[in-house]
Amino acid sequence: MQTRDPSPQTQDHMVRLEKQIDNLSSAFNWLAGGAILIMMLLTCADVVLRFFRHPIPGTYEIVGLMGAVGASLALAYTTVKKGHIAVEFLTRRMPEKVQFIVAAASDMVSTLLFGIITWQSTVYALDLKRTGEVSLTVGIPVYPFVFSIAIGCFLVCFVLVTDLYRSVKGITQ
Amino acid sequence: MSPTVIGLIGVAALFILIFLRMPVGFVMAAVGFVGFGSVVSFDAAMSIIAKDLFSVFGSYSLTVIPLFVLMGQLAYHSGISKRLFNAAYKFIGHWPGGLAIATIGACAAFAAICGSTNATAATMGAATLPEMKRYNYKPELATGVVAAGGSLGILIPPSVIFIVYGILTEQSIGRLFMAGILPGLILILLFIIAIIIWTRMRPELGPKGPTFSARERLSSLSGLIETLLLFVLIMGGLFLGIFTPTEAGAIGAFGTLVLALVGRNLTMKGFMTALFETTRMSCMILVIVAGATIFGHFLAVTRIPFDIAQGVSEIQLPRWAIMLIILAVYLVGGCIIDSLALIMLTIPIFYPVILFLEYDPIWFGVIIVLVTQIGVITPPVGINVYVVSGVARDVPLDVIFKGVLPFLAALIIGTLLLIPFPQIALFLPNLMG
Repeated sequence: MQTRDPSPQTQDHMVRLEKQIDNLSSAFNWLAGGAILIMMLLTCADVVLRFFRHPIPGTYEIVGLMGAVGASLALAYTTVKKGHIAVEFLTRRMPEKVQFIVAAASDMVSTLLFGIITWQSTVYALDLKRTGEVSLTVGIPVYPFVFSIAIGCFLVCFVLVTDLYRSVKGITQ
Repeated sequence: MSPTVIGLIGVAALFILIFLRMPVGFVMAAVGFVGFGSVVSFDAAMSIIAKDLFSVFGSYSLTVIPLFVLMGQLAYHSGISKRLFNAAYKFIGHWPGGLAIATIGACAAFAAICGSTNATAATMGAATLPEMKRYNYKPELATGVVAAGGSLGILIPPSVIFIVYGILTEQSIGRLFMAGILPGLILILLFIIAIIIWTRMRPELGPKGPTFSARERLSSLSGLIETLLLFVLIMGGLFLGIFTPTEAGAIGAFGTLVLALVGRNLTMKGFMTALFETTRMSCMILVIVAGATIFGHFLAVTRIPFDIAQGVSEIQLPRWAIMLIILAVYLVGGCIIDSLALIMLTIPIFYPVILFLEYDPIWFGVIIVLVTQIGVITPPVGINVYVVSGVARDVPLDVIFKGVLPFLAALIIGTLLLIPFPQIALFLPNLMG
C-alpha cells in the first residue's frame, strides 16, 4: 500500500499555519496579561482613593469585564502550551498508536465543543448588542466582551485542529 | 429515559472521557452540555453554555484568582524564597536537622504570600536543596521536606484551593482563609516534630549546619519582615472586612511587585514569565470552574445530588463514619486525579451531603485542603514530588516518595485531629464579624 503521508507541500503549509496560530495565540496572551495588570492597578487605585472618599465609580464591573478579556484571550495560549488539567494515568500505559487514536478522538470532541461555544457566544453577543445591554454603574456596552470570548474560542478551534492533524499523522505513521 | 438515568450515563461518560486524557474542564462542559440538552432541550443548552461561560469569565468575584496567582508568581520570580530561608537558616541551621526545619519555616512564610503548592515547592526547592546538599543532608530528607513543606502553600492563606472551594460552595473566601491559619500552624509543628524524630533515629540524615553570630542573625531578618508586612496587610484587611478578596489580591500583587522593584530583585524577563504563568494558570483554573458550572446545571436537573443526599440519610451509619468514607474517596481519588479537578468533580455531589450531616462548610473546606495536601505528595500523581524531582534531577523519584512518608504521617494526624476538634479551624473565622 502507498504511504498515506500528506505531500511535503501540505506539510509545509501546515507547519506555516501552526506557526501563525502560535504567534496569534501569544499575541492574544499579551493582551490577556495586560488585562490582568489593568485589573490590579485599577483595584489598587480604587482602594487608595476610597480612603480619601473618592472611589473610582464602576471599578467592580470594569474589573469583571477585564477578567473576561483576560481569561478568553489566554485560552488559545493555554491550549497551545498544553496547560489544561488532564488525567494521564491511564493513557500513559497504552501503546503509542492507541494514544494517538484516543488523542484524535478527544481533539475532535473538543473542537466540536469550542465550535459550539464560538457560535453561541457570537449569537449571545449580537443579542446583547441589539438589546443595548450596558454595565450597571458606568454604562459600558457588554457585547464586545462576549465577542472577546467568541474570538478566543475561535482561535482555540484552530489550535485544536492542528493538534488533531498531528494526532492523525501519528496514527498513520 | 428518566433524568436520573441520563444523569448516571452522564457521570459515566464524564469519567471515561477524563481517563482518556481529554482536559477535565472541556469534558465537564461537553458532558454538561449534551446532558442538559437531553434532559431539558438543546435550545436551552445552547443558550446556557454561552451565558455560563461569560458569567464565569466576567465575574468580579472570580477575578480574585488571577490576582492571587500573580502575587505568588511575582514572589516566586523575585527571590523572596531565598531571603526567607536565609533568615530561618541563620537562626536554627546549627541544630541537628536544623536546615530541614528552616526549610519548613521558610515554606510556611512563603505560603503566606503564595497560594499554590507547586509554586511554593518549586521556588523553595531551588533555594534550599543546594544548601542542604552542601551540608551533607541525605537526599530523602532534603527532597521530602521541600515536597511536604511546599504543600503548606494551599493551607496557609492565600490559597487557590480555598478560593475555588469558596466560589463553588458560595462560602466567604475571607473566612476560609482565616480558617487555614491555625491548622497551618499546627501542621508546621507536626512537620517539625517529624523532622526531629526522624533525625534522632538517623542522625546522619541531617547533620548540624554552621552557627552564626547574633549580628548576622539580626541582619537576615529584613528578608522576613517584608513578607510578614504583606501578609498582615492583606489578611488584616480581609479580617476586618475592609477589602474584598479581589482587592486583597490586587494589593498583594502590587505590594509584591513594589517590594521586588525597590529591592531590585525582579528582572524584566522574570516579570514577563510571572505574568504569562499567571495568564496560563488562571485560564486553566477558570476553564475548570466554567466546566464545573455547566456540569453543575446538568446535575441539578437530574436530581442526582438530591438523591444521593437522600440515600445518605437512609444509611444507618454515624456521621463520622460517612465523613471517613468521603475522606477515603478523596485519598484514593487524589492518587490518580489532579486535586483541583477532583474537588470540582466531587463538590457538587458531596457538598449537599456535608450540609445534610450538619458539618460546618468552612471546616469542610479546611479538610478538603488537608486531603489535597496529602494528594499532592502521594504517588503516582503527587505533583509536588514531580516538581521537586524537576529541581533535584539527580534524586530518583522513589527516594523522594520515601522522604515524604514521615510528613504524610504528620498530615494524616493533622487531618484526624480536626475531626474531633473542629474549633481548630473555626476559632479564627468565628471571631470575624
